[in-house]
Amino acid sequence: MVIQLNFKSGKPVYLQVADQVKAAAASGALRPGEPLPSIRPLAEQLRINRNTVAKAYAELEGQGVIETVAGRGCFLKENHSPFRKEVRLKLLSEEIDAAIVQAHHLQVDEKEFLGLVRDRLDRFAQRNKATKEQL
Amino acid sequence: MNPDNPVIEINHLVRKYGRTDAVNDLSLRVRRGQCYGFFGRNGAGKTTTIKCLLNLLRPTAGQVHVFGLEPARNEVAVKERLAYVPDTVAFYPWMTVRGVLEYLASFRKRWNRNTERDLINQFRLDESKKVNALSRGQKTQLALIGAICAEPELLVLDEPTSGLDPIVRREFIETVIGAYQEAAPGNRTVFVSTHLISEFEGLIDEFTVIENGREAMTLGADEARSRYKKIRARFAGLAPEFKPPEVKQVRREGRELEFIANGHSEEILERLNALGPEEVRTESLTLEEIFVAALK
Repeated sequence: MVIQLNFKSGKPVYLQVADQVKAAAASGALRPGEPLPSIRPLAEQLRINRNTVAKAYAELEGQGVIETVAGRGCFLKENHSPFRKEVRLKLLSEEIDAAIVQAHHLQVDEKEFLGLVRDRLDRFAQRNKATKEQL
Repeated sequence: MNPDNPVIEINHLVRKYGRTDAVNDLSLRVRRGQCYGFFGRNGAGKTTTIKCLLNLLRPTAGQVHVFGLEPARNEVAVKERLAYVPDTVAFYPWMTVRGVLEYLASFRKRWNRNTERDLINQFRLDESKKVNALSRGQKTQLALIGAICAEPELLVLDEPTSGLDPIVRREFIETVIGAYQEAAPGNRTVFVSTHLISEFEGLIDEFTVIENGREAMTLGADEARSRYKKIRARFAGLAPEFKPPEVKQVRREGRELEFIANGHSEEILERLNALGPEEVRTESLTLEEIFVAALK
């Protein structure tokens, strides 16, 4: 799993870390039961404060994406969301709304937007397939 | 001490040198566990402020509290819980690296030999070498090792990376701060003054910009980056006039328009899009760019 930060994105650094862990899980780059990097080496590698990595991991744990095993570190969980389906759909709607707002500002129309969603879903499906075939 | 009380609290600090106000009505507070940046140009008042925290200078007016104590009245109680690395470190030149560490350890209640050994190895310092034979970077490394082995609750760094070559800088500041925070992250506070802000981009939780002895800005790092945006737009024809009240540094050249927004970027983009640009690009400013924008 490779994490790359962009201080010019305007997104809080801990969320960038958390979202990239989630993206790695969605694309199969990180599989259930696999360990996440320890906090201090990851902080030093990314040249960020360990508080930021700890906050990202706490966020992921709160969302049920990872679990902490005392003395052993953090691991990606199987079927992770602790929320009910309605809540999960609502959380996702908020993210989609943000993307729609962005699309408006970037002058991407509805058809292009939906096409792009289709493409991105296919990309993730392909990457997942590729990582499974490597096993 | 209540863990919610600030580790450093400065209220309306004034410090004059003769008729010059080096620090003029500065207030800030640093919470436990934070990595706090104190940014300013040379001569802005950073070192004077730090010296007031350490009772190396007495405030002309205002109050300074460290761990809830006044440094001038509780000098030992304050100093035994913190470590300070000045911008120019000085050791007794006849001492060896080992000798310096033993000398520093003799003043301290705690001394972490594991941290000491790890960092000496990592920085490849020769323990038998005399300190006057060390390079400036090595002297700073030695001072930082001496500061963190005592496991202080507060680490005060005054321009720790100035005068060092860029490769050394990149390497060691993360290593030192990482090692310092490792044992008890919630109880390890860093207060670092610098004008080389890009080195600390990822480390800083919150910062204050000081200019002419006054606070110019205090913000959380993530909050600052989400507020300050550089927006560029390109138009089909000549770029139109565009000056909403919240924008700074408008540059208008041919078909292009570029400016810095301090907050309200949603509304500004809305208004900009109404002018029908061909392309709009938005990016956040880095802390260094925000520092520059704050002082312009």
